[in-house]
Amino acid sequence: MSAARCNPRNERMKPGIMSKARLQAGMCLLTGMVLAGTMVAVTKADRVTERAKQLHFSSIVVDTHDDTTQRFLDREFDLGARNALGSIDIPRMKAGGLGAIFFSIWIPSKITGPEAVKRGRAQIDAVREQVQKHSADLVLVSTADGIREAHNQGKIAALMGIEGGHLIASDLGVLRVYAALGARYMTLTHSGNAEWADSSTAKPVHHGLTQFGKDVVREMNRLGMIVDISHVSDKTFADVLEISKAPVFASHSDCRAICDAPRNMSDDMIGALAARGGVIQINYHVGFLSQEFRNAEKAHPEWDKAIAMEVQNRCRDREGCQLIEGDRITREYVLRGDLPRVEWTKIIEHIDHAVKVAGIDHVGLGSDFDGANMPFGMEDATKLPQITNALLERGYSEGDVRKILGENTLRLMAEVERISRELNAGN
Amino acid sequence: MRLVRVSLSACLVVGGLLMIQVAPGDDIADRAKKLHFSSIVLDTHDDTTQRFFSKSFDIGKRNPDGHIDIPRMREGGMNAIFFSIWIDGRTMGPPAVEKALDQIDAVHENVNKYSKDLVLCRTAEEVRHAHAQGKIAALIGVEGGHMIGNDIRVLRMFGDLGVRYMTLTHFYNDEWADSSTATPEHNGLTDFGKNIVREMNRQGIMVDISHVSDKTFYDALEVSKAPLMASHSSCRALCNHVRDMSDDMIKALAAKGGVIQINYEKSFIDQAYKDAQDKLSGGVVAMMDQLKKECGDNEECLNKKMTEMTDKATAEGKLPHVSWERIIDHIDHAVKLVGADHVGLGSDFDGANMPEGMEDCTHLPRITEALMRKGYSEDDIRKILGGNLLRVMEQTERVSREMQSAQ
Repeated sequence: MSAARCNPRNERMKPGIMSKARLQAGMCLLTGMVLAGTMVAVTKADRVTERAKQLHFSSIVVDTHDDTTQRFLDREFDLGARNALGSIDIPRMKAGGLGAIFFSIWIPSKITGPEAVKRGRAQIDAVREQVQKHSADLVLVSTADGIREAHNQGKIAALMGIEGGHLIASDLGVLRVYAALGARYMTLTHSGNAEWADSSTAKPVHHGLTQFGKDVVREMNRLGMIVDISHVSDKTFADVLEISKAPVFASHSDCRAICDAPRNMSDDMIGALAARGGVIQINYHVGFLSQEFRNAEKAHPEWDKAIAMEVQNRCRDREGCQLIEGDRITREYVLRGDLPRVEWTKIIEHIDHAVKVAGIDHVGLGSDFDGANMPFGMEDATKLPQITNALLERGYSEGDVRKILGENTLRLMAEVERISRELNAGN
Repeated sequence: MRLVRVSLSACLVVGGLLMIQVAPGDDIADRAKKLHFSSIVLDTHDDTTQRFFSKSFDIGKRNPDGHIDIPRMREGGMNAIFFSIWIDGRTMGPPAVEKALDQIDAVHENVNKYSKDLVLCRTAEEVRHAHAQGKIAALIGVEGGHMIGNDIRVLRMFGDLGVRYMTLTHFYNDEWADSSTATPEHNGLTDFGKNIVREMNRQGIMVDISHVSDKTFYDALEVSKAPLMASHSSCRALCNHVRDMSDDMIKALAAKGGVIQINYEKSFIDQAYKDAQDKLSGGVVAMMDQLKKECGDNEECLNKKMTEMTDKATAEGKLPHVSWERIIDHIDHAVKLVGADHVGLGSDFDGANMPEGMEDCTHLPRITEALMRKGYSEDDIRKILGGNLLRVMEQTERVSREMQSAQ
């Protein structure tokens, strides 16, 4: 029994960022509903054909956004064991054929300066220690070739992404240290603005990227770090496209044409991203997948506040606890059935839409597992083969499916690495 | 002018040696040159890192001052260097960590900038590979346990960033280990200090016992599963300085497979010089403190002032002249004591006062030739030049793998 849970990490506890938090609350309600155990028979869509299994388990499946890192800070969590809660652990990654995972290094946007750096480093240490502890299954890699080699050895490639430019405390030296420690992308902002870039979910103060923000992007190009434009404002996105010498990606964003959230991308943005060789990695978060869900959830901001308060009471600032308790509390809300139910097939709709807008070479997977609320039928990594199955059913070729599962991301990584080498050779 | 004068006198010394020892067609000179420039010449302690923060310094160009840059490393056949990460031992906690990271970043950036000549190495195998490719292997050592800010995660981060050894203390005690140049307060290593040593073993970071108190040394020796190294220390039997090692310590180090990397600092290799300097300035720590009033924590300035001060005192006859051949005496003493498998080179270039004839790394081939003239075999000389340290690195790596797979 995999369970969904409510993740409070998107600053639900932080007053003033409640719109983001509300999304989370809604999400929790939904997952609770699932748990409430309306026992649903396995539908046709959930069955995975032998052909799909064969394709899925021979492909390199890359997920560019997982918040499991927060759970590493909880002593009781064991990545090597099959866990009842959450979406990611080694047994379930194996069961779901997940071959490469970006562990997200994240702290709330309001934490800045040396404290942000200290906590960022502690999380990097936690990831590296987990990889070392489970070295029979995991290997830390930092290149596309590294992922391929891990795949050939039957290991899961572990990578790191920094989720929010506030973690560098306005210091390029810190950015370089993160890169040297293995961070392969940085999301320029999280829910709040960074000191040098505007977020999509905060009031703009920099009009996109500041001059220093542009230097950050240039330095990321030189270091071979992928510039991640999930979370950033539309103007920040436009500035990045203009400045970056390497293609960029959205590590976990969906399509506004289907669900009009600021965290998602408009068709124009997706087109511009693709024109520069970029990739949109589809997020499975129900609040970004479903307009219906988003509307219903927006109608009840009071639920979020209540849940946030209860989570705070039970957990204080223990992230691992927040993940579990937030979920548990929202299950009670879900039992009331107040919010619409979102099926996992919504993920396929977003993939298909993005492919139609941007072409088959520019779409990938960025689940947001362990950091968001999963739609029904995608509670954890074991369900990933369904995506392959559904795409085949829609008539995607095996080559096209492989691209979406990971090859597009690998191509982007290799290109970012090539440009880094060029820029360094130009020293 | 000072530098011109120094190099002039150096030339005279060299000239004199050449006339006496290196007659044209001298077979030993030829063989020594061939041996030196085909060997991995590894120096475990160079403070050049401090100069990366000076706008006037460029490691890619030949500099009129200091001891190290790429052209001079090439000329001296020095092809593996440990850049030292150092801040004053009284700076602790988060500021110490931040400053250390700035220096690690500076090493990375300089290696990246001169990637045609330099390559960052983490293992003995990588050093050998760099040598095979004709590149200079750049490695990193952290000189003082105070820089981890009392946080074992910072130690791991240093390891992840390429740090391959850590000196447990500098001049002052840190939170968990006593220094040889401070009043003991921990009776060697604390329990946390012992955990640090164990974690260094697990991470494959060599444990450096230069600078530490004798009790800290023996504690580290007992706890460490990997052999230890003294990255830049000489022999007390020849110069009775607390920064050097007694014969008993050298024997104990060697018995566990370790290596003493001989320091070229004048006051560590020459008793007469040390005695005169003690009288003049009250010893190395007192002298550094005096200079810090002028330079703050700018080690480039400290080194410059220190050299100026000691050169002036030497010219005035207040300090004796010290010849580079004292380095050979220390190597030979250690070899006689524990054999050729446990001695190496840890110059302290750009961080200490060099003896006459060893003004910079271009003079390193002299060491090879002098050892050959003493009758050392080519194999033994290669070990001293770098092979021994590579062996300790490999053993440290092996212990690390064993500990990690035993988890």
